Amino acid sequence: MSHSLNEIAAHAKRAARGAGLSWGMAEEAARATRWLAAHDLAGPALLCDVLARNDGLPHAQVAPVSLIGDWHARGGALCPLAAGATLNDCADRLADGRPVRMLSVSCPLLVVPFVAWAAIHLKAPVRVTYDNVRIDTDGDSIRIDDPHRQINVAKAATVTCQRTDAPIGTTQRPGLRGSVTPDIWARLDVFAQRTFAPATEASRLLGAGAGLSDND
Amino acid sequence: MRPEATTAQTIARRDPAVVMRLSRLGSFHQSRLSFMRILTRRMTRENWTFSRPVFAFDARGVGHAVYCAHTPDRTYSLIAFGHDLPPEDRSDRVIATRWDSTFTLFDGVPDAADIARLRKNIPLQEAGRVSAKELSVSRANRSVRLWDHVVSCLAAGEQPAQAEVDRVGYLMRTTAVYGSGKLGAADREMIADRPECAAPFQIEMLSVFLTRNYVRDLVQHMASLKGGAATVTLDAEIARSLGIGNSTGLGMAPFLINHPMLLNNWIAAREEAIAIVRNLPRANPAEAQTFRALLGRARVSAERWQSAHPLQINKLRQLRGDLRALADHVAQADLRTGHPWDRLYRWAEDTLGEDAQECLASLLMEPYGALVDPLADRMSDQNSAAFRIDGTMRVGELRAILARAYGWALDTDWTQQQHCARAWYVSAEKLEPRLGERFEEPIAPYEQPLAPGRDAAALAGALQSMDGDAPLAGFLLAHPEHRHSVRRAQIVARAPYAEIRDNTIGSELMPIDMLRCKLSFFGATHFDPRSDRWVRICMFGNAPYPEELAGTQADDWSYPPAHEAGA
Repeated sequence: MSHSLNEIAAHAKRAARGAGLSWGMAEEAARATRWLAAHDLAGPALLCDVLARNDGLPHAQVAPVSLIGDWHARGGALCPLAAGATLNDCADRLADGRPVRMLSVSCPLLVVPFVAWAAIHLKAPVRVTYDNVRIDTDGDSIRIDDPHRQINVAKAATVTCQRTDAPIGTTQRPGLRGSVTPDIWARLDVFAQRTFAPATEASRLLGAGAGLSDND
Repeated sequence: MRPEATTAQTIARRDPAVVMRLSRLGSFHQSRLSFMRILTRRMTRENWTFSRPVFAFDARGVGHAVYCAHTPDRTYSLIAFGHDLPPEDRSDRVIATRWDSTFTLFDGVPDAADIARLRKNIPLQEAGRVSAKELSVSRANRSVRLWDHVVSCLAAGEQPAQAEVDRVGYLMRTTAVYGSGKLGAADREMIADRPECAAPFQIEMLSVFLTRNYVRDLVQHMASLKGGAATVTLDAEIARSLGIGNSTGLGMAPFLINHPMLLNNWIAAREEAIAIVRNLPRANPAEAQTFRALLGRARVSAERWQSAHPLQINKLRQLRGDLRALADHVAQADLRTGHPWDRLYRWAEDTLGEDAQECLASLLMEPYGALVDPLADRMSDQNSAAFRIDGTMRVGELRAILARAYGWALDTDWTQQQHCARAWYVSAEKLEPRLGERFEEPIAPYEQPLAPGRDAAALAGALQSMDGDAPLAGFLLAHPEHRHSVRRAQIVARAPYAEIRDNTIGSELMPIDMLRCKLSFFGATHFDPRSDRWVRICMFGNAPYPEELAGTQADDWSYPPAHEAGA
């Protein structure tokens, strides 16, 4: 179904929060999902997969243990949202051309929006490489070197992010609508519902501030 | 000698620590920078034309109409559906499911297929679905008392009593105007590059402007069906005094906190305007006369402003008294030389309450459209880069920002129940924000991040043990729970009016203060709280109707004509 990008971001933020992300991380997740959806990529579906995989896990378990050397999680796979947000936080590390390498990353395409924002900050395109996929972005546009490759992989052994001087060339510009299947929307909604307080009669009367007749 | 040169721009914008308190934000008044006035100025300047290609209603008011606004480049159409609503179903609350009229603002001119599609969805409001061709979705209910009075009078060949009209101020009130992607409508980004959409909320304001036209036509139509040949046309001046009501609840309050950059841009534009005028070394007679005349009309507006809420009754009493004192002062004050507006503002700061101070601040801009109106171009939020956190910032620098922007919060004891008595949450029922009692209801697990002060204090606490030279990236990795507060702090460091510098979860919180701030930027008047968290206001009261725009000389319709009451 066709959705506005604001709808997608709002739904993604609630879902991310419902799955246990902090508010600040939920904001990042929402923006990343929106960014991918605007580029007609599977943002909502990948978010769903990551939230299901890491449901309720503490940040410390899925975020980079250290920013020195290759980035890896404490035990299992790196969360692309935690790793992506951290990469954007310290985007200046990419300025001199040295790569940031992340090991064992789930749903690596979700790292791309963060790389895009890093590229805007650096005012230079950045390349994301995983498996045999190569994606360049200058923040707004994106170029996938071979559109027939599977980019929506569940996990990549290595994700490399590095400044590139390659011109973006023929690219995919962001659109203004996003398409989300009812199934994915419903799966996200299961997480989102956890953020809503069950309605009680008291909250109905007090919480919304009723009390006076409004039919006059 | 050029005395101007030595004194120009020496008076700074007001301190955010003064402006961003809730009691002051809750005392704001409409101004030249209000979104309704930005819209009507543009419509007049660009000679927009208007048409009504469809108007088909039966005797019960069931049917639909299309109102088109033609800009130099394109057409926007309000599609209005009229319904027959039993009185027991009429509720302004957001939990209502039926309304007297429902609307959408359509991008272009709808064809029959669009109308058929929208007829199935718009009457359902939140339960319906719209497309990227629709820019807003809204609904309105009649003020039954005034509606019946006006229909009966006109049908009997008489004009309604102006006193009755003034008591309510509108024939219909909207209870929600959804824009920017809600329910599947077009995102703001889709239209943001159109000049007529550059200022905030122009689509929503256009929708309400056209709704007012529809309401006037519908009440006339219903009167004609009832009175036949005996019916008279509603007097143009009475019609002009009628606005569109709006009933607004808590849903609007979190908006200001959730859009810090936008809030900053609104307030910064207004503060810049106030500072520009205060820095003027002298005023000419025409400018002084414009100010005096509009002060008189602002007093008329204050006299006609009604509320049954005890707090608002007190505020109104003080506002009226203060405006009388201001008028007395202005009658003998020199408004011509020696930085007259700054002297006047400083006199008001020492003498009047916040409500009258803010009314004066808005009035100061009135004679200076050429200086003030261009600031409207700065009121949107185009800076999406503000979202990015700078992880290279040192802990010490963040500490300094926190001390500067959240000093009040760092001085608050957040373990005291009265300082965190409330919690904002979203109910499963209508997905609308609500405000609950943290220590009486099981809502804390569902709390929304709408207490920036408390959260900033927690962040400051967590930073205490950190090395001041350490970059923030490492801290954020270990403390994702503070991530949203770090983002806000970095925004407020660049945008000083981005943050409400007051407690948004204390036992003393009056959510209506947040509503009044936002509604004043819309251009609303006659703010009438129905409780501490629900208000009614009037929009476009005394505004020209579409066919009157061309003859409008000055952009001062938001002040009622001086002759209407004994000011």
